[in-house]
Amino acid sequence: MSGASTAAYLARRAAQKERVRILYRRALKDTLNWAVHRHLFYQDASDLREKFEAHKHVEDLDTIDKMIAEGEATYNKWRHPDPYIVPWAPGGSKFTRNPVPPSGIEIVYDYGRENND
Amino acid sequence: MALRSAVLRYIRVPVQTLTATESKPQPQWSLRASLRLFSSHDVHLTKEEVIDRVLDVVKSFPKVDPSQVTPNVHFQKDLGLDSLDNVEIVMALEEEFKLEIPDKEADKIDACNLAIEYIYNHPMAG
Repeated sequence: MSGASTAAYLARRAAQKERVRILYRRALKDTLNWAVHRHLFYQDASDLREKFEAHKHVEDLDTIDKMIAEGEATYNKWRHPDPYIVPWAPGGSKFTRNPVPPSGIEIVYDYGRENND
Repeated sequence: MALRSAVLRYIRVPVQTLTATESKPQPQWSLRASLRLFSSHDVHLTKEEVIDRVLDVVKSFPKVDPSQVTPNVHFQKDLGLDSLDNVEIVMALEEEFKLEIPDKEADKIDACNLAIEYIYNHPMAG
């Protein structure tokens, strides 16, 4: 592969960096799902950070792709079955709890008045 | 629901504090506390609250120098943080404001002013 900074190389590196960031974000949230107590979470989060930092200086595109694929496979293996999702977000407990009533429906305030009054 | 709160936010009348007519000065928050709103989605954060809380979160990050944090600071350029540190800061902001930011949006939050804009314009920011 070309070591020179061509546009295609930079574009691929940028896409890989984005994948790494999204993977780190999901892995961190998953760590928080598994380790609910905060001191355990800090320990696990720093371990995760060490794992990401260890491969920071790899330059070869194919090696990076392979490592990202391995990371995503590990993430999929360790996904929590009942993750914490904010209540109003999709998947949370309050999602679509009180939907907006359809328009055109009104309440007629006739207080039980009948037509022969 | 998001449309409704967006419409409500658009036509919201700003609350005027009655400091000119009253003898003792009332802080902004106590007037808002006495004005009881009957919907759970009408109480939005003010910009100062958002800025204060975002700056507190960024300042309490262990790798950040608290004296350099301003509302316009860029995480990677000005504070010298890593892209993974950026991810951690965005997660801390999500936890602070009880938000759920989609992955693509969270990737774009690079600086303090972007974070403040996003959180201020989010209808469900706690």
